[in-house]
Amino acid sequence: MAQRTVEAQRGGPRDLQARVLETGLCTACGACLGHCPYLKTLGERVAFIHPCPLPEGRCFEVCPRAALDPDRLDAQLAGAGPADPLLGPHLALHFARALDPEVKRRGQYGGVTTALTLFALGAGAAEAALLTGGSPTAAPHPVVARDRATALAAAGTKYSACATLAPLAPLLREGSAPLAVVGRPCQVAALRKLEARGEGGHRLALVIGVFCFWALTPPFYRFLASRADLAPATKMDIPKEGGVVFSVNGGAVRIPLDQVRPFIRPACQSCFDPTAEWADLAVGSTEYDPDWNTLVVRTARGQALVDGAVAAGALEVTPYPAERIPILRAAVRGKKIRVLAALEAGRAEAAYLEISPERRAALQPEAEGGA
Amino acid sequence: MSLQALRTAGPGRTVVLSGNEAIARGAMEAGLAYAAAYPGSPSSEVLASLAAMARERGFHAEWSTNEKVAMEGAAAASFAGLRSITIMKADGLNVAMDFLTSLAYSGTRGGMVVVVSDDPGAHSSTKEEDTRYLVRASHLPLVEPATVDEAKEMTRWAFELSEEVGLPVMLRSVTRIAHARGSVDLGALQAPPRTARYDPGARYFTTSALHPLLHQRAESARERFETSPFNSYQGPADARRLVIVTGPGFTYAVEAVELLGVSGEVGVLKLATTWPLPERLLLSHLGHAREVLFLEEIEPFMETEVKALWAQHAASLGAIAFLGKASGHVAGAAGPAIGELTPEIVIQAVSALAGRPFEPRAPEFRRKVEETRLPELPARALAFCAGCPHRASYWAIKAALELDGRDGVVLGDIGCYTLGSMQTGYFTVKTVHAMGSSVGLASGFGKLSGFGFEQPVVAVVGDSTFYHAVVPALVNARYNDSRLLLAVLDNSTTAMTGHQPHPGTGRSATGEPAPPLPIESVARSLGLAVEIQDPLRTEETVESVYRLLQTDGAKVLILRSPCALLPWVKRSRRAMVDPERCIGEACGCARLCNRVFSCPALVWDSARGRARVDEVLCAGCGVCVDLCPREAIRLDAVA
Repeated sequence: MAQRTVEAQRGGPRDLQARVLETGLCTACGACLGHCPYLKTLGERVAFIHPCPLPEGRCFEVCPRAALDPDRLDAQLAGAGPADPLLGPHLALHFARALDPEVKRRGQYGGVTTALTLFALGAGAAEAALLTGGSPTAAPHPVVARDRATALAAAGTKYSACATLAPLAPLLREGSAPLAVVGRPCQVAALRKLEARGEGGHRLALVIGVFCFWALTPPFYRFLASRADLAPATKMDIPKEGGVVFSVNGGAVRIPLDQVRPFIRPACQSCFDPTAEWADLAVGSTEYDPDWNTLVVRTARGQALVDGAVAAGALEVTPYPAERIPILRAAVRGKKIRVLAALEAGRAEAAYLEISPERRAALQPEAEGGA
Repeated sequence: MSLQALRTAGPGRTVVLSGNEAIARGAMEAGLAYAAAYPGSPSSEVLASLAAMARERGFHAEWSTNEKVAMEGAAAASFAGLRSITIMKADGLNVAMDFLTSLAYSGTRGGMVVVVSDDPGAHSSTKEEDTRYLVRASHLPLVEPATVDEAKEMTRWAFELSEEVGLPVMLRSVTRIAHARGSVDLGALQAPPRTARYDPGARYFTTSALHPLLHQRAESARERFETSPFNSYQGPADARRLVIVTGPGFTYAVEAVELLGVSGEVGVLKLATTWPLPERLLLSHLGHAREVLFLEEIEPFMETEVKALWAQHAASLGAIAFLGKASGHVAGAAGPAIGELTPEIVIQAVSALAGRPFEPRAPEFRRKVEETRLPELPARALAFCAGCPHRASYWAIKAALELDGRDGVVLGDIGCYTLGSMQTGYFTVKTVHAMGSSVGLASGFGKLSGFGFEQPVVAVVGDSTFYHAVVPALVNARYNDSRLLLAVLDNSTTAMTGHQPHPGTGRSATGEPAPPLPIESVARSLGLAVEIQDPLRTEETVESVYRLLQTDGAKVLILRSPCALLPWVKRSRRAMVDPERCIGEACGCARLCNRVFSCPALVWDSARGRARVDEVLCAGCGVCVDLCPREAIRLDAVA
């Protein structure tokens, strides 16, 4: 695909308000927070508490729902593998799992994200890791982990839109040590936009993205609060089939997906990137074997960390089964095509995307022949 | 307060008192036994003065929970044969009106005086109401002093009048009497009797059968008014041009007549007993007048009533031109019947009546003034003081509502915190009516969900207001399961009217300990969820408001932090801007700290291009520390 040079679109608080916050596109990633006293978050909602008079601003420029250009981010990603319009730049696809039993027990599926985070912290690749903590039945919160216990406590996928990046601005302001971030795809895109502005370029040592097809809204937690049987839940999962599953006292409590769908965050229906295409490493479920994670190695830096973790005995990897790749690609394509259709229909919820004609063409199923 | 002057034994001494102190002194000269009021400017200092004297003079003085309760207490004392006074501002009379119109029917026994202070120009009120219309509706006798000295004398006399006619007597003051100071000739202080007793045979009923008796009693007051020495006339006996004046406009009118040199042709009739009209007195002057100018505050009450009187006697009186506010002849810049009378308005009106042009200043004088005057002070909006907890409360409420994102509505009430409708309250408050009305309104809004009303509703009241009028509305909300959040901005005092105590403060009007009745106890006893939060802890407050907005039903959040002006609130900390951390305009926050937060102590140092804390003004509340995105503001201990 031809490389394009695209100028970052300029904008400010009024644009953020009109084009992102008021249209319901905000994913509460938290990237705009922590610098600006006008922007605050509560209840997984970001809002201006007073109107900011500045014509242009960082808030708009780092927003993953303001002027997102995949070509530009592909070009920006240092050490990235070849661009792929569906799975994003990548060097390798693996199944992977943690070897530490406690990490496996507390992490999601194979515990790969937690294992990689712990390895990065232990090996000095990162001095602190920005994570998402909390119980599966209450709204999560950002966590700054500097030790194993804190990172382990934040293990497990959270299924709502925590503003995990909110503490990043003060972290970047105050110190100089390398940082790791584990985030949703929208948060990964925001981090790259942040880097493009010259913020934290040398500090963001490791960006791990988790696959995310949608997040739920906080009323979901109020719904859960009405279920006394879920109070002791330790883990939540949304497998391919079987609704939402909570691990409770060694057993499983299931909630039909139809009861959960009304809580899907509307902004997530406009997401073009379910696999964190601009992360160093992207981790998801395999939808095949719950003991393992899918691990996408996207950058040389990510590859180095995986190699180190494997060598240290923290992680075990195995090739991604070739027959499963088309299934993964189809799922991603389905999501992208839906958003692209909205963009082509001129619907506001997709207007943040700046997709080149080449990328559009590459997304069509017939263009997938050789993949 | 001139306590010493109030204490001075009379008679024969002359002291300087404010109008409110003069009323208090007049009551003490009448042997007052019972005084009750709810504070409200410009009336508050009457009871404050009485409370300061109550113990040594042996009478009862109290701040009541509201004006109706105050009036009921005073009526009880009257029924027991004692002399009593109740004091309120115009708005308070509205609150007490139901009882007052009933009391007029039942009548009273011991002399009872109802002092109502109107606030023409609304210096410290949300509206400028002319209470004379309410007095007229109640049929009660009304007197209006024109000077401070007269305020004292008329108060003393009003007790006698009340006992003579068997009705409470209304004494209407206005700001320029209440807050003016003047020399007062003292009479002897009279000790209250120790013989209160309710006559077992007495009946005080409100029944329509007593309506004729009320009319008879009012007529009896009118008879006394016809010859009252408080009414006076000066000028030619047959003046064709007549000024009829009530209240402080009298002194302006006398001055105007003198300055214009028209005392030989313009008569001035000062009317101090304004309802029922002393008709014979008025008719005797209408007989010679062909042009009549009315000077009164606020509305053309007298003008209308005298015109009605003329209409009854038109055949014998002949044509008269009536000039005043109704006719548009008496008007300030904002128009007739708006704002106070001023010497300028009055002299222009008298000048027009007399046909004498009036040039206020020689051109040379005006030129010299322009040359020598200092630059005008910058205009300042009404603002919360430095360290005011209300600013912090509004900051949090506004932030929580923005984060909630459902266009929540904040309903305001009457107190310092009414400033929430203005800049230093971030224009958060959207409605303001009467005391307690925010909660009644919220209770109504909270029942509109069936009509698609999804906006959260926050009622904001003060602590004193809570006791005054909020409780019934809160009971209503609870009873009808209305969805609302009541934020009680509890600064532990009745701040707006001068720091009077209230049922929550643990002190009585006379400074004695009183059993405190905490707001949370009242609200919890109604079965409501109650949270208490220090509003100076901004982030926690935002979270509390936000969290409560997500819940159903009526709930109460008490935002408790004492008024920064209270004498017992000692400043222990002081905010400082670290000049190394503050990066001025480069910050990108567009000076949020002083431009938006609007604390008078947080200013912009133009010379250095940095924020700065005015160390004299800063009360050390610390809210600004949380606002600065650069963490450039810190708190230092004050030695």
